[in-house]
Amino acid sequence: MSGDHSHIVKRLSTVSGLLLMVLVVVMLMGVSIGSSGSGVTSLWYIVVNQDQADPMLLTIIWKLRLPRVLLAALVGAALSLGGLVFQALLRNPLAEPYILGISGGSAIGAIIGILLGLSQFPGITLTSFAGSLMTLLLIIGISAGQSILQKNALLLSGVMVNAFCSAVIMFLVSMTHDTRLHNIIFWLMGDLSLGSLQHTGILAIALIPCFAIIFWFSNTMNLMLMGKEMALSMGVNIKRATVMLLITTSLMVSACVSQCGLIGFVGLVIPHLFRLILGSDHRILLPACVLGGGAYMVVCDLLARALPQQGEMPAGVITAMIGAPLFIYLLKRSGR
Amino acid sequence: MRFLLIFFLIIPGVISPLPICAQSVNVTDLLGRHMAIPQDPGRVVSLAPNITEIVYALGQAHRLVGVTTYSDYPKAAASLPKVGSYVHLDLERIVSLAPDLCLAIKDGNPIAAVSRLESLGIPVYAVDPRDLESVMDTMSRIGGIFQAHKEAEQLVQGMRRRIQAVENRVAKADHQPALFFQIGVSPIVSAGTGTFIHELIVRAGARNLAEGSVSYPRFSREQVLGMMPDIIIVSSMARSEVFENIKADWYQWTNLPAVKNDRIYFQDSSLFNRPSPRCVDALEILARLIHPEMFEDGS
Repeated sequence: MSGDHSHIVKRLSTVSGLLLMVLVVVMLMGVSIGSSGSGVTSLWYIVVNQDQADPMLLTIIWKLRLPRVLLAALVGAALSLGGLVFQALLRNPLAEPYILGISGGSAIGAIIGILLGLSQFPGITLTSFAGSLMTLLLIIGISAGQSILQKNALLLSGVMVNAFCSAVIMFLVSMTHDTRLHNIIFWLMGDLSLGSLQHTGILAIALIPCFAIIFWFSNTMNLMLMGKEMALSMGVNIKRATVMLLITTSLMVSACVSQCGLIGFVGLVIPHLFRLILGSDHRILLPACVLGGGAYMVVCDLLARALPQQGEMPAGVITAMIGAPLFIYLLKRSGR
Repeated sequence: MRFLLIFFLIIPGVISPLPICAQSVNVTDLLGRHMAIPQDPGRVVSLAPNITEIVYALGQAHRLVGVTTYSDYPKAAASLPKVGSYVHLDLERIVSLAPDLCLAIKDGNPIAAVSRLESLGIPVYAVDPRDLESVMDTMSRIGGIFQAHKEAEQLVQGMRRRIQAVENRVAKADHQPALFFQIGVSPIVSAGTGTFIHELIVRAGARNLAEGSVSYPRFSREQVLGMMPDIIIVSSMARSEVFENIKADWYQWTNLPAVKNDRIYFQDSSLFNRPSPRCVDALEILARLIHPEMFEDGS
């Protein structure tokens, strides 16, 4: 057993070390590229010669790009982790907060919060959390009683809940001519452009305890994947673990949605990629998803900023363009 | 100091008399926010197309260093650096232009982006041009900020004269034709009471068929046919080929008064959807279309 333990620690540190390096590299790229000009060398020059640097460039790098890159990393980490947890708990490799409509539910909550004139934190985050819990209960309610083998029932109910949520969102948007919703189209496809250090900090305070809780349950998730009887015999309180994990994940997803809108498929792409490379040990997968998901989101946001000639596109466009084809591929493969 | 005193007497309400130092003045914008702005701003970013038009009309274009994507009037504005669209501002581009003042519109520019700019130390002065009166008020305010009160005053007086002239002519008309102002194609959208377009229609002496509490109501084709419009005005970003299609579409309905009398017209949307100094042009064009008989003397 102790041999196994040291093996895990060794693998964990290798994987985390490598992914941390990737994350740092893409974050540096994210900080050095932008609409006002780019260059890694100029970034280096600024960091080295802080006092001689152009104050305008310093503002752009420290107050605009850095908060945005940090926000992207946090959101990517949270969404990947959310996907991983849903896939383990629902024992369905295609489960993901966006596909299941959890994100849509929290978006409804967030829009209601905006219309009620609540503050970003805690007001809108809480209404958004309430929205995500409602959809979660709805999905579990719909697909309850279905046998595990019929795992498509869960996906189908998720798709329908998602369709319903989109309709409610469009309904709310059409019914009001509120100027606060002007930016809604961007927000619905994921918008990281307004991230400030303060907002990112608040999001980090909300998310990091959630990461810790999920990490705490990593071994439990391993056991639960082996089946109910196995988990019970190993002394796992399945009900408590499930409830804790689902609530934590919903909170995490709704904190992200209320901050940057709907960003889909991150929780599908990243866990799948790492399961393929690293196997299914959640003790390794969890940190890998946090670091890798963060890096993935930073790259997607970078593409969303850099690809259009003028202005930028919502980051969710990129994640969906990568994620949706992968989903179809996985669905086809799992059907065989 | 005496200069400053005179300055504040001329435009009361625009600038509160508490200059911090010689270079900056304290002002209150239309959102009621107090701020210090440069006394003679030289690097201004306009955050909406109609503000760009106002700055140009005041002859202050030399102060502009950036405008929004759709700032296409006057032509020269289109070649200025772009800072994103007014609903989705590119903050990095704005900061990189090192502005000493941004001019924002109350309804349109997202408040989150405005407060981000302010947290970065860029003063953002918000105005609210939404109808003829407030366009003129905005022109006076921006004129005040740019120390161009005289130009602003002259422009506003000229606009008032022209509006009055239109109203005098239109008042003599004995009927108010029913007008349908078509903004979109599918769906058909029009402008309700409370919009800038409604004000122009009413001042130009017509009845707005879309009046009602909804700002931009949608209509089905049947609804429009049922209202029997005397005049249909199509305003679209798309160019005239699209208009020919829309026109051909309406011309199937030969019993429609607008079709019988051949009164379906196309107008450039930038004149009608942005409350700018050209609103008087829009008003005059509309009045001539609605009451051509009142303008027959050739003036």
